Amino acid sequence: MSDRQFDAIVVGSGISGGWAAKELTERGLKVLVLERGKDIKHGLDYKGEHAAASKLPFYGMPDRERNARDYPIQSSSYAFSDANVQFWNNDRENPYIRTQEKPFSWKRADVVGGRSLLWGRQVYRWSEQDFKANATDGNGIPWPVDYKEIAPWYSHVEKFIGVSGEAEGLAQLPDSEFLPPMEYHALEKTIKGRVKEKMPEITITMGRCAILTQEHNGRAPCHYCGPCHRGCSTGSYFSSQSSTLPAARATGNLTLLPNQVVERLEHDETGKRITAVKVVDTQTGERREFTAKIFFLCASTLGSTQIMLNSSSSLHPNGLGNKSGALGNYLMDHAMYGHMSMMVDDSKRFYKGNRPNGLYVPRFRNVGGQDTDADFVRGYGYQAMTVRSDWETTFNTKGFGAGYKESLRKPGPFWIWFLQGFIECLPQANNRIYLDVNKPDRFGIPQLVTEFSWGENELSLARDSALQAEKIFRAAGAVFYQTADIDTLSEGGAGVHEMGTARMGDDPMQSVLNKYNQAHELDNLFVTDGSFMTSASCVNPSLTYMAFTARACDYAVKELNAGRLGA
Amino acid sequence: MNRREFFQCAAALAAGSSMLPSSWAMTLEQQDFLAAQPDYIDRHPLNFFTQRQRAAVTAVAEQIIPATDTPGAVAARAPRFIELMVANWLNDTERAFFVDGLTDLQQRAGGDFAALAAAGQLLLLEQLEEEAGDAAWFQMGNVTRLWDDTAPFICQVKELTVLGFMLSDVGSSEFFRVNPMGSFEGDIPLTEDDSSYAVELPIRAMAGGEVL
Repeated sequence: MSDRQFDAIVVGSGISGGWAAKELTERGLKVLVLERGKDIKHGLDYKGEHAAASKLPFYGMPDRERNARDYPIQSSSYAFSDANVQFWNNDRENPYIRTQEKPFSWKRADVVGGRSLLWGRQVYRWSEQDFKANATDGNGIPWPVDYKEIAPWYSHVEKFIGVSGEAEGLAQLPDSEFLPPMEYHALEKTIKGRVKEKMPEITITMGRCAILTQEHNGRAPCHYCGPCHRGCSTGSYFSSQSSTLPAARATGNLTLLPNQVVERLEHDETGKRITAVKVVDTQTGERREFTAKIFFLCASTLGSTQIMLNSSSSLHPNGLGNKSGALGNYLMDHAMYGHMSMMVDDSKRFYKGNRPNGLYVPRFRNVGGQDTDADFVRGYGYQAMTVRSDWETTFNTKGFGAGYKESLRKPGPFWIWFLQGFIECLPQANNRIYLDVNKPDRFGIPQLVTEFSWGENELSLARDSALQAEKIFRAAGAVFYQTADIDTLSEGGAGVHEMGTARMGDDPMQSVLNKYNQAHELDNLFVTDGSFMTSASCVNPSLTYMAFTARACDYAVKELNAGRLGA
Repeated sequence: MNRREFFQCAAALAAGSSMLPSSWAMTLEQQDFLAAQPDYIDRHPLNFFTQRQRAAVTAVAEQIIPATDTPGAVAARAPRFIELMVANWLNDTERAFFVDGLTDLQQRAGGDFAALAAAGQLLLLEQLEEEAGDAAWFQMGNVTRLWDDTAPFICQVKELTVLGFMLSDVGSSEFFRVNPMGSFEGDIPLTEDDSSYAVELPIRAMAGGEVL
């Protein structure tokens, strides 16, 4: 095997893959990154950035016919529009099976940089309580890692990506390494003051986000154009394109190949080591094989598990490293549940610039122990958005001419303050993905079947988030509010926080990966995207993927150098 | 960047970009792309309405949003937007419904709405809106609904006029103001004469809408 070009192969170039590429190349490894999506160039290909509505087809109204044909899944995202359609997966070309009874919405990018270009950029540390949750209430299996162990890796990641936010000193939401927070709206200051007085148990803080408020590592601060998901040519929000891939490239150790769909991994005769990855070129259909010493799957939760399921062999009959039977099971997402209020305070105050961030209300239920009035375990947080009413909220009225026209010119007399509950989801075996060998995709790779539904605990949490939102709206001084009905709870996957299906744990009979994201059964295979998650917390997960990825890379290189990965 | 691209960028820079208050945050390639990109309404020919229908829609749009001290629907070329949306965005059923409504309007106007005096046009439109009564379209909270195919014709033509005006280049920059990039300040005064900011993407488009 002396012809090996690469020390490591990373599958995927999104949030996790970008981090793996950076950490491995910086430790001197020759790394090949395989990305199924098209090649796009940072800045150059952000064609819709700063485009006015008048430049977009139908002035930005969705192209319903095309979307129904090519983007029926992707187009339901708030971030999807003709200003960035080039980033998204074509659902007709790259399908999966969404079961009627248990529908799951799989949001995917299809470009170099993956969903790091499209993500919501909210970053929150997990707490000690999150890592202890499974062990405490008996749902799922215990985490093999605790907060103390991961905290330095959170710091490592945060210092590189740049996180703006406010330190609050909360046990349930540890502070990050912060750049200065973004500014509040006048109304948000009013709300914060009132809620602090009437509901002291509630914290309202500026959203913690991977968007720069000052120059950081050579990247410019945010220029507040607003829709980050169109791409940011100044690199002011963190993406693989703006940050990790350039860092990896700078080492001279990176090779990145776009348009490469990974079909399966091959192992040696012992079944304990991966030897090669088999790919199909999406442009030519050509099949190739690449070899390396270690392999990182960072192809997204469903993507990585699909590869492992499709890599079964006589030694791994149920999918790679799946003695436990956990592979494909325990799929999770965050349920989203939106509550709306109207406020007439501060109507003479306004703003300039478009802040791509909102407020955050950290979890306050079952914090530190079980609340006596709670018929559920775990909790939820709210992301809060502040929007000033304008013609869009008021044009559905009668009248014609100058009066009607003038009524639409100025901001309306009220603000809309929106609380979006992000609800923790328990790991359940029947929320799962598996292959349908009778339904291959255009490359002959079996399609994934998804089955997902919310459990009773999630529904109880959602209902409680409505009750508590009502209390917060009253305390905040809302003149009108409407909390959500349970039938508006988001579909699984719509939170785009899909996690699980290759969970980590100490027990190889119950989990796929060990505490270092290393497959229990395959020494040189690491899986560091959302699939390793053993529980879900209620906070946005990307920061945690990045921290575990960096830690896994550190471990893998040490093991490799110590000769313990059999290379 | 190759030589050809360099010259394209230089040309785009020299031409400037009227849409944007500042260009410092854009790459040269983006400026090139946006400057070279005509507005949506200039990218497609008009070939759906008859001359008389086009004149009627133009008159309706100007009645809804007339020129005042700021440009109106015609100056913002909202009628062009309406025709393109009816031809290319509405589905077959929606399109047929809209055309039926337009035909009805013409009949009530004696065959040529545009030929009526302004007062007569307004009277007829007010009559249609009166007949629309308390259609669901008039309820609050329509902001996230992509298209109301139960709404009477008069509501639909008003909606397309409003979108075609408010989202246009002219509406964005001469009726509204473009929210300046550069910094975010969350607590500044709103003076009596301040307009809203131009919308970069309608909320109904971001709400995901339902796909057909």
